[in-house]
Amino acid sequence: MTVLLATLLKVLVIFGCLISAAGISTLAERKISAWIQLRRGPNRVGPFGLLQPLADGIKFMFKEEFVPPGKSRFLFILAPALAAVPAMMSVAVIPFTGRIAEIDGTPILGSVADLDMGAIFIMAVSGLGVYGIILGGWASNSKYPLLGGLRAAAQMISYELSMILIILAIVAMSGTLNLREIADAQNDHTLLGFLPAWNVFLQPLAFVLFVICTFAETNRHPFDFAECESELVGGFHTEYSSMKFALFFIGEYCAMIVMACLTTTLFLGGASVPFWAEAPWFIGLGSFVFKAAAFMFLFIWVRWSLPRFRYDQLMALGWKVFLPLAITNIFITGLVLAL
Amino acid sequence: MVIVKRKQLTLGERLYLPEIVRGLSITVRKMFAKRATRQYPEEPLVTTAVTRGQPRLAMNPDQTLRCVSCGMCEAACPAYAITIDAHEVEREIEREPEHFEIDMLRCILCGFCEEACPKEAIWMSDELELADYTRASLVYKLDRLVRPVSQLQGRIDYIEEINRRWNN
Repeated sequence: MTVLLATLLKVLVIFGCLISAAGISTLAERKISAWIQLRRGPNRVGPFGLLQPLADGIKFMFKEEFVPPGKSRFLFILAPALAAVPAMMSVAVIPFTGRIAEIDGTPILGSVADLDMGAIFIMAVSGLGVYGIILGGWASNSKYPLLGGLRAAAQMISYELSMILIILAIVAMSGTLNLREIADAQNDHTLLGFLPAWNVFLQPLAFVLFVICTFAETNRHPFDFAECESELVGGFHTEYSSMKFALFFIGEYCAMIVMACLTTTLFLGGASVPFWAEAPWFIGLGSFVFKAAAFMFLFIWVRWSLPRFRYDQLMALGWKVFLPLAITNIFITGLVLAL
Repeated sequence: MVIVKRKQLTLGERLYLPEIVRGLSITVRKMFAKRATRQYPEEPLVTTAVTRGQPRLAMNPDQTLRCVSCGMCEAACPAYAITIDAHEVEREIEREPEHFEIDMLRCILCGFCEEACPKEAIWMSDELELADYTRASLVYKLDRLVRPVSQLQGRIDYIEEINRRWNN
C-alpha cells in the first residue's frame, strides 16, 4: 500500500516537473535565442521574465479556437493530444536517480516504472508521437499542414531506424534493456584510471550519431521539416490555434526533454556523479538534471545557430550516412565484445 | 554558356561537423557579448543639443514670456499645428500670447517655428515622449509649453553656434 502511494507520488511529481520543465524550456528558448541575437529576451513578467510561461499559458487559454471545416473535426481535436501524450508517457521509464528509499523490502527507485524493456518502451512510445503530427496535418484540410505531416512521418521513420540501431549497440554492451541497469553499468569501473566509463567515451561515434538523431526525432532545428516556417507557413500546426496549438508545443518540448534524459541515461551514466560512487539520491538527481539540462541547452543552442537542411539532404543523410554508420557501429561493438 | 566553378570543399567542410562546431562557437561567444537593446522606459533616450524634440516656449528668469505673439511661427508651421491669440500687457514689449496652442498630434517636429521666431522664444526641446488617452489632451496649452530658459540653454547655444558659422 505504501509502495503504491509512493509510486503515485512519484507519478505526480515527475509529471508536474515535466510540464513545468517544458514551460521553463520555452522561456529558456526565448531567452537564449535573444542572447545569441544580442537581445535581452522576455524580462517584463516577473523577475528576469520567469513568469513568462505562465503568462503565455493564460494567453493561449483565452485565444479563439478555430476548427477548419471540411475534414474530421474529431481527428483535428485528437491530434494535439496524440502528439503530447506519448512524449509525457515515455518519461515514465527514465531513471532519474538511484534508490530513494526502501519500504517493506521493496526499493523505491528513481523511475516511475522500472521496466525490464525500458529501452524498447521508450522508442515505441515516442515513435507514436508522429501520429499526432501527421493526423494534425491531414485533419487541417490544407496543403501545407499535410506536407508538413508527411515530411515529419518520413523523417521520423528514417531516423528512428538509425536511433534504434545505435541503442542496440549500447544494449549489447550492457547486456540489458533496462534503462536503470544501462545507466548503472556505466558506473562500475573507470577508464584509464580517471575517466568514468560512460558510453560517451566508449562509443563516441554512437554518441554523435544519437544526438543528431534526437534532433531529427523531435523535429528540432536543423531538421524541423514538420514546421519549416519558410516553406510551409507553420507546417502541421498552421491551422491550429489556442490551447490546441499550445499542446503541440508542450508535446514538442516534452519530447525534447525525454530525449535529453534518454541521452543522459544511455551515454552520460544517468544519475551518477564522477568519483563519488556513494552519492545520496538527491545528489544523483541533481547530477541527472544538470546533464539533461545541458542537452536541452544544446537543442536550443543549435536551433539558433544553424540553417535548416534541405529536405532531400535530410533524407540522404538519414539513409546514406547514418544507417550505414549505425550498422558499422553495431559490427564494431559486436567484434570488440566477442574478442 | 556559363560555367560556374564550384569551390572544392575540403574534407572537414564536407564532414559538416567541424563547421557546425565553428558556428556554435560563434553563437556562444555572442551570448556573452554586450546587448544591443536599450531598456527604453528605464534607460531614457540619449538626447543632445542636436535633438530636435517638441517645441517649447522659453520663459525669462523674471517669469515673463519671451513670446510677443507676432504669429511668425504660426505662419511658418507647415502642419498648421500652432494657434495664437494675443493680448496687450503693460510690459515694454506690450504684447503677449493669451492663448498659445500647439497640437502635438499635428506637429511634425520640423523646427520651422524655431527658425521663424524673431524673439528667440520658441525652441525645439529635448522632450520626445508623447502619449495620452485622448486627442484633446495632446493639444498643449501655455501651461504645458512654457519652460525656463535654463532648461533650453543647450539648444539655444547650439543654434547660436550654427548661426554664427553661417553668418560669417
